[in-house]
Amino acid sequence: MPDQPNVPPSSAASAPSGPVAPKPESPAPAAPQPPKAPAGFVNVEIDGRPLQVKAGTNLIEAANQLDIRIPFYCYHKKLTIAANCRMCLVKVSNAPKLVPGCQTPVTEGLKVTTNSPEVMDSHRAVEELLLYNHPVDCAICDQAGECKLQDYYMQYDHRPQRPAQPKLLRHKRKELGPTIVLDQERCVLCTRCVRFMKEIPGEPQLGVFGRGNHEYIDIFPGQELTSRYAGNTVDICPVGALLSRDFRFKARAFYLSQAVSVCAGCSRGCNTFLDHYDQVSYRYRPRENDAVNSAWMCDDGRLTYHRLVEKRALAPMLGRVGAGKPAAFAEAVATAAKRLEPFRGKAELAVLVSPQLSVEDLLAVAQLAKEALGASALYEGGLADGVEDALLLRADKNPNRQGLRLVAKAFGLELRPFQELVDAAEAGKLKALYVAGAEVPIDEHMAAAVLEPIEVIVTQAVHLDGLAGGSDVLLPASPHAEDDGSFVNFEGRLQRFERAYAPWGESRPHWALATELARALGFTWRRASARAVWDELRDRIPEFAQVDWSDLGPNAIRRPGIGLAPAAADARPPGYRERPVQLKARPPEPIQ
Amino acid sequence: MSNPKRPVPAYEAPGSRPETARERAYFPELARGLAISAGHFLRNLLWSRDPSPDVLHRRGPNAVSTVQYPEEVAPYPPGYRGMHRLVPREDGRPRCVACYMCATICPAQCIYIEAGEYPEDPIEKYPVRFEIDELRCIVCGFCVEACPKDAIRMDTGTHCKPSYDRPSIVYGIDRLLKGPAVSHASDVWFKREGSDPPPEADPHPIPERGR
Repeated sequence: MPDQPNVPPSSAASAPSGPVAPKPESPAPAAPQPPKAPAGFVNVEIDGRPLQVKAGTNLIEAANQLDIRIPFYCYHKKLTIAANCRMCLVKVSNAPKLVPGCQTPVTEGLKVTTNSPEVMDSHRAVEELLLYNHPVDCAICDQAGECKLQDYYMQYDHRPQRPAQPKLLRHKRKELGPTIVLDQERCVLCTRCVRFMKEIPGEPQLGVFGRGNHEYIDIFPGQELTSRYAGNTVDICPVGALLSRDFRFKARAFYLSQAVSVCAGCSRGCNTFLDHYDQVSYRYRPRENDAVNSAWMCDDGRLTYHRLVEKRALAPMLGRVGAGKPAAFAEAVATAAKRLEPFRGKAELAVLVSPQLSVEDLLAVAQLAKEALGASALYEGGLADGVEDALLLRADKNPNRQGLRLVAKAFGLELRPFQELVDAAEAGKLKALYVAGAEVPIDEHMAAAVLEPIEVIVTQAVHLDGLAGGSDVLLPASPHAEDDGSFVNFEGRLQRFERAYAPWGESRPHWALATELARALGFTWRRASARAVWDELRDRIPEFAQVDWSDLGPNAIRRPGIGLAPAAADARPPGYRERPVQLKARPPEPIQ
Repeated sequence: MSNPKRPVPAYEAPGSRPETARERAYFPELARGLAISAGHFLRNLLWSRDPSPDVLHRRGPNAVSTVQYPEEVAPYPPGYRGMHRLVPREDGRPRCVACYMCATICPAQCIYIEAGEYPEDPIEKYPVRFEIDELRCIVCGFCVEACPKDAIRMDTGTHCKPSYDRPSIVYGIDRLLKGPAVSHASDVWFKREGSDPPPEADPHPIPERGR
């Protein structure tokens, strides 16, 4: 969804239909004069359609506001202009030759033509030239399905290649670094990657070598592409030249569906798309949000999708390591309630909560801790701090620590660091422990050894590592990809993510597990969805009292009647697979 | 009862003919019928069957022309699509590059592919698993049409053998990869050995600037 920052405020309501008509204080003039543009804006005409746009906007962005798409390869909104692919050549009224749309700013009275035979022939010729040395190995190319060469070939060229001399052979598989592999034959030399590495992370590790027809992208001799942000070059590569070694050959791009998500790798909360197929996540891609992550994300965050698919706890377990055995869900919940019942309201019961949980999970867990278990404090778990940099990466590797603080404050629960839990366990003061989210900031084996003397440990965990093995009752929880919810990032920004697919196995969201546990303890709570939790409990947090579920997005509209877990294949009909991402207010869903 | 002007419909057996005296005598007809049976019996007993492998055109003294399935199989008519095969290259590897075109177009969704990577091969991608569930396959041939590498063909002239269990009808690479190898002039391995460019690839190499 293109932003529309350049629409003048006076014509915001009618921007697509044309400029605002002058006030009718006098009879209509004989010849229609172009209306005077507001200060800082100019009148242009693109394919005969008038537009008022901010002065200095380039032609690609201006045409975009009229839903006219000028083709381009090298242009990127967040990078400097190179104008080297020549795909965006258009005809303008003040130049004798075609000009590149990415480089040309609008001026008052400019007339732009993007669909004349001359311009279309230019597009076709450029496309043919770019395909001159291209190997056209779409069958083994990971980019097939999201490749601009494919799209523009079908749109502008669409004819067989003319017989020519043999294509130049270059490196087809050059491993540039730990994350990226380069196919120099497929490259169209748009230099987006070179400009990105130089301008955004400030690590100019890529360069253009050679001259003329023999130019190629490469790393400098003896060096590697080691940047933490190298994965973004794969996203911005318009063809299949730069590819992710992690995603390579895992899935075809045209099979993947995208869910609006938020990266859970650190407290930045980069906005992402989670690409998934048949209930398996395959990759994260950054989603543009100027307030949080611009259009980028780090490689560490990209790889956190592995946590959605690896080492998952999928069935309830009774008994500790070695003696654990799978159990029915109802039996596990009843056992957990029975074991925790004697410790309700006593100081011997501790509650460990992870800031990996969403706000909705935390609300339900905190309510359980406060009202059902009678706890007065929460111990703060979560992953240990890691590296931090100046661009995106934050030291706090948990996405929702701010949310945990808000929720604890709302329920009057004191937040205590994890070390105090270790101290209390070593002093023998604890006899029961309820864990929501089994991530701990110390070594997991050490933590399991410290907590081992505790009589009763009930754990809701996504993964089988961490504290999960040492618990008496393990309830399988689902990660954030498998339910709606929201995180509060380090700046206090509340960000909603959506459910990509149904929970795996018998796992259920933390809020559902906490609600089931409360029901087994004699409460009558009923919640059908994360939204029900939010609507019920958000009033307790004064900061969230005015925030409606529908206002937060996610920006996609979930269509009715399409199951989220198609059995054998992604059998969604066309149009349902690629959901348009639009910031639309949607009517509130009925609460079940 | 019979109306001579009424046309006899084709499905009506002509039963109104009066029986002859010989037929009414019974025994001559009985002997004639036994003679026909005995003649067929002796003919099939004393003469052997036509050994021609063209089972549909067997003639000969022996009147038993039954196809002894499954030892003998009647050939398919021309244009009939038999079971799939994965076409091998000259080196025995499958031509398939795991592009998923067949799995994408398959209306029965019976093709399952997992891709892998050759470390040293001009074509980096190959199918680690390529399975066709022949119980689901409707033998429509779309996979053959969709294949950009001529890697799957329906030219075996056989059909899927019956089985007593379902898993054995899911055919993997071991059973699909068979038949004569196929090469085309445009195949990549005729142009290069591996992923690196061949030394003669650059017609204008930059000369070494030695002293």
